[in-house]
Amino acid sequence: MTVGAPRAGKPLRIDRLRKTYATRAGGEVEALGPITLDVAPSEFVVVVGPTGCGKSTLLQILAGFLEPTSGRVLADGTPITGPSIDRSMVFQSYALFPWLSVVENVEFGLRGQAHSRKECRELAMHQLRLVGLHSFADASIDELSGGMKQRVAIARAFAVDPSILLMDEPFGALDALTRRLLQRELLRIWEEQRRTVVFITHSVTEALFLGDRILVMSSRPGHIRAEWKVDVERPRDVTSDALRDLERQIYAILDEELGRSFEQGVGNRG
Amino acid sequence: MTRPRRRRILSAAAKRSLPFLIAAIVIVVVWQLVVTLTHPDPSVLPTPWATAIAFVGLVRNGQLGLDALYSVARVVSAWLLSAIVAIPLGLLMGSSLRLERIVNPFVELLRPISPLAWIPMAILWFGIGEGGKVFVVFVGTFFPILLSTVAGVKAVDPVLLNAGRVFGCTSRLALFRRVVVPASLPSVVVGLRVAFGTGWAAIIAAELVAAHTGLGYLIANGMDILRADLVLVGMAAIGLLGFLFDAFFRALQRQFGGSS
Repeated sequence: MTVGAPRAGKPLRIDRLRKTYATRAGGEVEALGPITLDVAPSEFVVVVGPTGCGKSTLLQILAGFLEPTSGRVLADGTPITGPSIDRSMVFQSYALFPWLSVVENVEFGLRGQAHSRKECRELAMHQLRLVGLHSFADASIDELSGGMKQRVAIARAFAVDPSILLMDEPFGALDALTRRLLQRELLRIWEEQRRTVVFITHSVTEALFLGDRILVMSSRPGHIRAEWKVDVERPRDVTSDALRDLERQIYAILDEELGRSFEQGVGNRG
Repeated sequence: MTRPRRRRILSAAAKRSLPFLIAAIVIVVVWQLVVTLTHPDPSVLPTPWATAIAFVGLVRNGQLGLDALYSVARVVSAWLLSAIVAIPLGLLMGSSLRLERIVNPFVELLRPISPLAWIPMAILWFGIGEGGKVFVVFVGTFFPILLSTVAGVKAVDPVLLNAGRVFGCTSRLALFRRVVVPASLPSVVVGLRVAFGTGWAAIIAAELVAAHTGLGYLIANGMDILRADLVLVGMAAIGLLGFLFDAFFRALQRQFGGSS
């Protein structure tokens, strides 16, 4: 195969998805849903929601770590039964393997695929070059800053040539400036290797900067409260009038939902 | 490892060993003071100098080296045997709740029995040959290695397991081999280090009772023939070797680095 061959993403269909948890008292807690959502091939979807709305649960189900209580999730028409390398993931806490070097981390997923060692190394180095870390290939993970770690994680996620990329608040632990830098790097790589992306965040600015489509989730049980298509050319200026206006609308809904979850919290305690 | 990095590690090692050197000097000074002030009979407490001369004498005639070699060989063989059994068992116990439930009661019932308490049984079963001493050290090293390994497996970050599953570990075996084992390795090394310490203590005790060789025998024999200098030489050798082994393991731990 050629290095970095362009390949399209695949569609994702979420159909009346619900997730409930059993409580210790024997009852049930509704965590999520019902959610119905279609993600187009190579679309960049950003999900914004208040804390505890279940957006991470949604991503865990898409990744195949959790099973839905009811409803279906189809990746390219096939039901999701477990984790798959075709739906690769970037975790908030990086989740790099500390016993492996930078390049070995990027190679980790490639090893299971049908590549020779030499091909693995070439593909990994190519992805490291895209995130600007090729000169750190042999460094150990402990030597890297948070931003560098997440760049390695992004390289690892793209290296396996997935058709769908799941990103769970990937920049949540980074400082504001590093976050901006990585958002731009992510877009640059994504524009080169168009994959379907589901990106979870609690930052409205991040959503405005990145997404083809922005979904706002309600408070628990999380369902999709509102959605917008963002037809603004990239790179975007989030301080433009159009995006400022959109930002106001999103915050209006988020404030409402946050207020509701606060009331729920007070109600539960009483 | 690059050259400047190695040099940095060496100078850091020198910095770390300075306090130990000072402590050793203080011990010798206090010892000498006690001798000067109380004038004990040399068969009760010889001077540091007399002990040093005895030390050199035993090194020269090869006796100390031979005894140290016997003790070290016994500990290392029993400790390796222990590791061969305890590490795989610990890895399995850490990953299977059912196996842990079955094995844990045995561990918790046997673990409180000090390896020293096994010495009489070891003599009855194995006589005073090598088998008994290896058995005692095995008992002393087995549990630290086992428990540390189990704890290491259980402490593996679930996010790393998820990452492993996403990135191609589709079977439990693949996940175990590629994520669980390497992730728990630092904890295994801690267990190996702790176990070596307890094993070293156990072998001396076993040799005190039932041996004709080894540092423990050197001490016991020194007591029998009223040669306190020989006892002290044995003690110094035990302390020094124990310290060196521990330093070696600490360096190893830094190599495997990370979580601990």
